[in-house]
Amino acid sequence: MKVTRRQFLIGCSAAIGAMAGGRLNGLAFAAQNETVTRDILVVLFLRGGCDGLSLLAPAGDPNYVAARNDDLRLGDGGFDPGLPLANPLAGLDFRLHPQAAPLRELYDSQQLAIVHACGLTNGTRSHFDAMDFMERGTPGDKTTPNGWLTRHLLLTNPTGLFPAVAAANSQPISMMGYPDGVAMYEPTSFSLQGHWKYGPMQQNLLRKFYTGNTPLHQAGLRTLNAMDTVDLHITRDSDGYPLPYQPENGVEYPSDYYLSGLDSSLKTVAQLIKMDVGLQVATIDYGGWDTHEEQAYIFPDQVNGLSRGIAAFYNDLSRYHGRLTMVVMSEFGRRLRENESRGTDHGHGNVMFVLGGNVNGGQMYGNWPGLATEQLDNGVDLAVTTDYRTVLSEIVVRRLANPQLSEVFPAFAGYQPLNLVRGSDLPIQ
Amino acid sequence: MTTFTRRQFLGRTVLLTATSVLAACKPKPSPVVTPTPASAPTTATQTQITTPLPPIEVIALNRMAFGPRPGDLDYVRQIGFEAYVEEQLNPNDDDDPLATERLSQATLHIAYDGNSDYEGVDEDRPLFTLDQPLNKLWPLTNWEIPADYAERVRPGDETIVATWIRAVYSKWQLRELLVDFWHNHFNVNMGLSERLAAIWPIYDREVIRQHCLGNFRAFLEAVAQSQPMLYYLDNASSKASPANENYARELFELHTLGADNYYNDLYNRWRDVPGAEEGQPIGYIDQDVYEAARAFTGWTVADGSYSEAGELPNTGEFYYHEAWHDPYQKRVLGVEFDANQPPLADGRKVLDLVATHPATAHHLCTKLCRRLVADDPPQSLVDQAVATWMAAQAEPDQIKQTVRTILLSPEFAATWGQKVKRPLELLASFLRATNVDFRPSMDIFWIAGNMGQWLFNWVPPTGHPDRAGYWLSTNVTLNRWNTLLYLLADWHSMVEYDWWGQHPAGVTTSRQIVDFWLERLLGRPVADDVYQALLDFLRQERGPDVPPGGENDQDLNEKLANLVVLIAMMPDFQWR
Repeated sequence: MKVTRRQFLIGCSAAIGAMAGGRLNGLAFAAQNETVTRDILVVLFLRGGCDGLSLLAPAGDPNYVAARNDDLRLGDGGFDPGLPLANPLAGLDFRLHPQAAPLRELYDSQQLAIVHACGLTNGTRSHFDAMDFMERGTPGDKTTPNGWLTRHLLLTNPTGLFPAVAAANSQPISMMGYPDGVAMYEPTSFSLQGHWKYGPMQQNLLRKFYTGNTPLHQAGLRTLNAMDTVDLHITRDSDGYPLPYQPENGVEYPSDYYLSGLDSSLKTVAQLIKMDVGLQVATIDYGGWDTHEEQAYIFPDQVNGLSRGIAAFYNDLSRYHGRLTMVVMSEFGRRLRENESRGTDHGHGNVMFVLGGNVNGGQMYGNWPGLATEQLDNGVDLAVTTDYRTVLSEIVVRRLANPQLSEVFPAFAGYQPLNLVRGSDLPIQ
Repeated sequence: MTTFTRRQFLGRTVLLTATSVLAACKPKPSPVVTPTPASAPTTATQTQITTPLPPIEVIALNRMAFGPRPGDLDYVRQIGFEAYVEEQLNPNDDDDPLATERLSQATLHIAYDGNSDYEGVDEDRPLFTLDQPLNKLWPLTNWEIPADYAERVRPGDETIVATWIRAVYSKWQLRELLVDFWHNHFNVNMGLSERLAAIWPIYDREVIRQHCLGNFRAFLEAVAQSQPMLYYLDNASSKASPANENYARELFELHTLGADNYYNDLYNRWRDVPGAEEGQPIGYIDQDVYEAARAFTGWTVADGSYSEAGELPNTGEFYYHEAWHDPYQKRVLGVEFDANQPPLADGRKVLDLVATHPATAHHLCTKLCRRLVADDPPQSLVDQAVATWMAAQAEPDQIKQTVRTILLSPEFAATWGQKVKRPLELLASFLRATNVDFRPSMDIFWIAGNMGQWLFNWVPPTGHPDRAGYWLSTNVTLNRWNTLLYLLADWHSMVEYDWWGQHPAGVTTSRQIVDFWLERLLGRPVADDVYQALLDFLRQERGPDVPPGGENDQDLNEKLANLVVLIAMMPDFQWR
């Protein structure tokens, strides 16, 4: 069946004119009538509980050495040692995973800051509860009706066309309940693939049918609007067909199978940032971290994919560094001691990364609690000495220019910036 | 021989134009269970009903079946709703002519290159693994026996195709719906390794189908001892000590008591869990997970694994390996276990405790009501189901009794539009209503995956979300519409349509044709303005009471086909 691109476009353009109205004028990065400039925030979530103690740890710590075989811990010598870090915590020999060389480069160039022993103060070891608590921004309370990013967005009321995008099949809980939230794997094919003649007619009728106020109707309307926005902004060839995304600076995104789609998600976010449709917040997921078994066969590839993916994304977006902040987090770390399946079970404290042009990088932050039994949480897991909300709220205030912390993170008292990022501390509300 | 993971393999052989599908395939090199984002549940806002409650036969065929096929609505009207429920609760494989015929006629393409060990193949082959016993399938996992990867994973592929055929053609629709429910409740990601795909018909047939209307305690043990679950949640490699906690944690959190009854703040203070001192703690703590993990050490698969006590046998059967078991005393849910119990006793005692726990009844009944009635089922309904569940704990048809209670409840008949169809339901209901000739290939797996439903390949142990939020993202919504268009365009050569041939005598005008297809797909009227829009779409410049026209026959065919798909893309067809 032949779809004539030109004909299809006409239908869409008519539709967007009808729906967008005055909004089309305000689609620049920050709305023209806004005086506040906010960073674009990208939240990369490592789903499954990344083993922070294999990603970054004090290599020679005797408790660390005693708890794990050498293939599940970072070495300070021998074959494939960990990469030493400048400005470590507590003067210890903190080393990054050997597959994380691109991350160390970003660290050494002052773009990347690392906080260790972070996480939920709630003690859950359930993936799904931990993600739920973290993403709602209310540890211990799963009844909060929306996510922390949702509340930030509602408070700042962005007027662009795509304020919030999940580069995934569906929105994560952190964006739950945001009425303008868009989930999109890939912009280039985000269109109705209909018959050349009847497709545009169907698209117009769908706009008529999806006008109710149920979640189903709203989803349809949101989808139609998103299709129109992409249609209007995507780069096309001379025949009107959308062009595949071209990264800048000669960047090639890694595409090994263990990227598990991370490359595609990163590209989608980069493409949408450059489409200038008012993107404020994007979320990306990278799974595969639940390493209960044979961790040594899995973890190095995961770290490799993560590190190369982030580096490619950051280099691709070099024009945007001044207004880009990326945070990397996971629902919890893993048990200090390995199990008999040569894996690690669910733990507690973990590492967080903050990347961007206004990050005070090249340093580790936080308080290292130690790995002796009496220093561990419940005697088995890395303790949490920095609430994950401490890291996020500093970004919200200083980079997203939103001081309304009591709304974004209710019941989180005491704003205590670690000085991870530059920016001003507005009067906290 | 180069070995691919299952998904790499499929990704290489299935040609699919939508790039996002391939972006969504996540090959997994090794056995890892990856929680992906818990999808955002729907917020408190519930679907507002704007259309009147449809007749009971429409509700029944949309919520205890994958939608009506032509004649089904009349059949339920004729025998009555209660008789239909009773019939559906008693499936009989000897009386399922359409599905039996379709399964026996079905073929699935298989193609691979030959080498020095075996000949190449490129053929449409009948389904042949679905009824095979374990000892016929297990050799597919043996790398010393030369076989192409496509042969090793063939049983899993056949089960996927058979599941679609049964959803569309089986008379026993309620069973198919419940099989889907239990595959999600006891979720296993078959894509983890070729071993799981090779024996998947056993899990589908002897665990899920065998117990889907049976007794929950028996079901739980069948799952706990099934090879797919033992591999998926790592219990197969769990040994003393420390044990692997993966299965034990999900047993409490997902399979039985549910996360709502996880008291993580109490951690090691088990006496503080309400009811613990009386031997009836209302929930579990981390130490229960640790202790249960110890209880299941040694529950593994006879797969030839190395052990210091000698290599395990290699039959593929469930195997209890004493040398890996942690024999010492334990305490689970406040109940003491003596040291040195007989083989399997520790694990079975854990299963007894969790299967009969009141929190399990509540968790499972809520999920069943959510599947069969509404995303947020009325508490009154859940309470009725719990009462039946608890009273029937020792009976072989505990689940059947509970499902009957739900289906015959006033709430079932009084609820509509509180569920959005999942992709399997959306496509199966479309294929049933349109009465097309459907011959699925593996493309159906990728098509549904593109809409968010990875049949038998959902990665985290939660199973696919059963609340609307996940299915109402912009990405999924667009793919739901596009998939109907793809099927129409027959991109995948899985369907054959004869639209005009289905019109009975007397259905010739645009109005009659719109009425006919609305009755077929929805079984109920739509709003006036919607009706008018559909009528205008078909008639265009012609009057409503004369036959529709087109530039030529092909154009007329395409217009009618696009009308039918348009009805399926409407909100009215997307919920149940």
